[in-house]
Amino acid sequence: MLDNLLLGFQTALTLENVVWCFVGVLLGTVIGLLPGLGSTTGVAILLPITFALEPVTALIMLAGIYYGAQYGGTITSVLISTPGEAASVVTTIDGYQMAKKGRAGAALAISAIGSFIAAIISLALLIAIAPPLATIALEFQPVEMFAVMILGLVIVVTFQGGAFIRGALMAVAGLLVATVGIFPGTGSTERFTFGNVNLLSGIPFVEVMIGIFALGEVFYQIRVGAAEPIKARFKDMVIKRKDITDSMPAILRGSGIGFAFGVLPGAGSTLASFMSYGIERRVSRNRANFGKGAIEGVASPESANNAAANANFVPTLSLGIPGGATTAVLLGAFTIFGLQPGPLLFESQPELVWGLLVSFFIGNVLLLVLNLPLAPVFAQMLGIPYGYLYPIILLTSLVGAYAVSNNMFSVWLVLIFGVLGYIMKELDLPMAPFVLGLVLGPLFEKALVQTSAIGQGDLGVVFTSPIAVGVLLFAVAMVVVPKLIGLLRRRRVKETAGV
Amino acid sequence: MKSRITTAAIGAVAIAALAGCSSAGGGAPAGEEGAFEPSDVRMTVPFSAGGGSDASGRAIASGLEAATGTTITVENREGGSGAVGYSHLFAQEGNGSQLLAAETTLLSLPLTTDVDYDHTSFTPIMKLGDDYTLVVVPADSPFQTCTDVVDAAGGEGVVAAVSGAISLDEIVFTLIEQDQGVEFDRVPFESGSEVIAGLLGGTVQVGSLNPGEVLGQLESGDLRALCSLSEERYEYEQIADVPTAIEEGIDVSFAQWRGFIAPGGISDEARQYWIDAAEQYVASEEYTTYIEENLMQPNAVYGDEFVEYLAQNSADLEAALAP
Repeated sequence: MLDNLLLGFQTALTLENVVWCFVGVLLGTVIGLLPGLGSTTGVAILLPITFALEPVTALIMLAGIYYGAQYGGTITSVLISTPGEAASVVTTIDGYQMAKKGRAGAALAISAIGSFIAAIISLALLIAIAPPLATIALEFQPVEMFAVMILGLVIVVTFQGGAFIRGALMAVAGLLVATVGIFPGTGSTERFTFGNVNLLSGIPFVEVMIGIFALGEVFYQIRVGAAEPIKARFKDMVIKRKDITDSMPAILRGSGIGFAFGVLPGAGSTLASFMSYGIERRVSRNRANFGKGAIEGVASPESANNAAANANFVPTLSLGIPGGATTAVLLGAFTIFGLQPGPLLFESQPELVWGLLVSFFIGNVLLLVLNLPLAPVFAQMLGIPYGYLYPIILLTSLVGAYAVSNNMFSVWLVLIFGVLGYIMKELDLPMAPFVLGLVLGPLFEKALVQTSAIGQGDLGVVFTSPIAVGVLLFAVAMVVVPKLIGLLRRRRVKETAGV
Repeated sequence: MKSRITTAAIGAVAIAALAGCSSAGGGAPAGEEGAFEPSDVRMTVPFSAGGGSDASGRAIASGLEAATGTTITVENREGGSGAVGYSHLFAQEGNGSQLLAAETTLLSLPLTTDVDYDHTSFTPIMKLGDDYTLVVVPADSPFQTCTDVVDAAGGEGVVAAVSGAISLDEIVFTLIEQDQGVEFDRVPFESGSEVIAGLLGGTVQVGSLNPGEVLGQLESGDLRALCSLSEERYEYEQIADVPTAIEEGIDVSFAQWRGFIAPGGISDEARQYWIDAAEQYVASEEYTTYIEENLMQPNAVYGDEFVEYLAQNSADLEAALAP
């Protein structure tokens, strides 16, 4: 164990590897910042330039892009309510509210600190117990994932407390949009494609996100007109000790939840981030302020998405099965470098695996050093008058949409969803449940089709799995328990009032 | 080391710039008189970066670059299970500077999905090689041979993993069913690695995977290969002792091919230019490395021979996909 760590440090701490690690996390932060360019696209686009490097150096840099993007994705979520990364969608809810109150600096700082703590915790777990964890992860087969997806949907619809009906409506709309494309059960049945080849693989999530968040906000501001830039005193920009202590429980819970979901193959950090937010909303001491700019509402999903990003490497490295979309691209990179991903990787390439793991530590330290001082600086960008800021957002959004797929179709999609986003804002419909419904839709449907195939048409097969039953009971508890508590409280209030 | 950092850093900037502005759309006029001179050559990969098609597209592009001395830009145009990329090439009719890294979906998509093209809409240049599949089971499976699997499928039933109705594994399981008169229960997955997870977790009993996809788990002993669905045994050391299904009396072998194509209606000069370049690439060491790393079969064919192969392969596919 210690030998392995030492070997890892020897590999990761060479000048070349540290420099490339830095390049990776820096590029990752920038990629996370740009609307549309997430870690998956970022790693894929930058993959070819690493061909000239040693495999270990290349993988260190690519992994740096991956977790760097998790940090960067937050910045625009907080500042302009536009998530740079799918895993930062939920951060927009409380992050943007904090920014409106002039506390963008604190939001960004807590996200950097939370991400760092989560990264260190999850790395320690990853290094210590990856192989046994991977075995547990394999217990989550289609039937169990079906239960997890139901839990996910329950959390999405109960996302924004009071606005239950609106949340449920938007989540269902997201699920409906997710049905466009080829039906996964047959692999050839087309749904709502109207003969357009661009729709065969469904409405791409990235374009929707750019459209409803970035363009929707721009259109809305144009309509509102002459909004004042947010004025913030420097004092409010810097994070206070109290903010950190308040957020600690949220960060720790977020790390745990994020890690747990990240370990499951195919679940990914988006699921982790909103599961964490959804649960935090229930248990946090400050839950009353969620949705109104609670710092815990930023700390929780941001910790979770970073923990999940690291946990994704558990199945990736110890089983050779990607944990999410980005690690799938990374596994592809392994093969391009002539490395055979699989259970033997730890034994056959100890230098590479341990070097990579140790580089995560280095990368996260670099990111903290990079992001903490920059948080107030980024926050100052909100002082830019909208007349200058919005054209820039418009331009990067449209260029970003085109760059993702080299296809004008994406640009049209972004514009269409921009208009939809504007309408949602006008009608005060929550956007996060819509986007999350769209993300969950294909995962849910896949698990549904698989479960139905396993049970030969009988979904009751779910109840034969103890894990699935446990997850479902948890989902029921998520709905019932808060209602019960509310009921009890009201009764107590009545009783005291009666006396 | 220093110079390497600088070049790659410049590369990084260039790529970032590329990501920003991207292609302005290449437009080499086609069919002009005299010798063909490629300009602004693009290699479309109809799948995302990092996958098997991307790897073959980039390998072919760099091999052709070495052979011709021109620069080839690789572009990933993913979507629609490949349909977006193929449709893009279809729209480039007559442009001899556009290429596409093709594989079996060139044939299977037009058979199952409503697209505007089929394989005759393009100019096939080269088939790079073939990839077969292995029938694999978890290490602790009671099955020792493919005959065991078939017998069980005829008896108590066997749950097989497939990745959709037009995937290679769906096709080979259908061919086994047709040949042996049995039926498999199926659970659909979306990729080879999902199938591996399903096998390891015990959701499915048997899967069919490319050797390159599953070698890691075979070498670690987590999965076992029962038979290969190829005409002859593999020569690669790691899987040389895996018998073919044909040896066991199951008359099934099916190859997934990889290669590259150009748009329809390009000049004969352009076609010949790429065939010559492809022949040069196949003679290079780069080609051998690619084939060996992916445990593929190095049976390259060019031009007319490739056209014939595609027609035959398409007919086979149609037979397998027919309900």
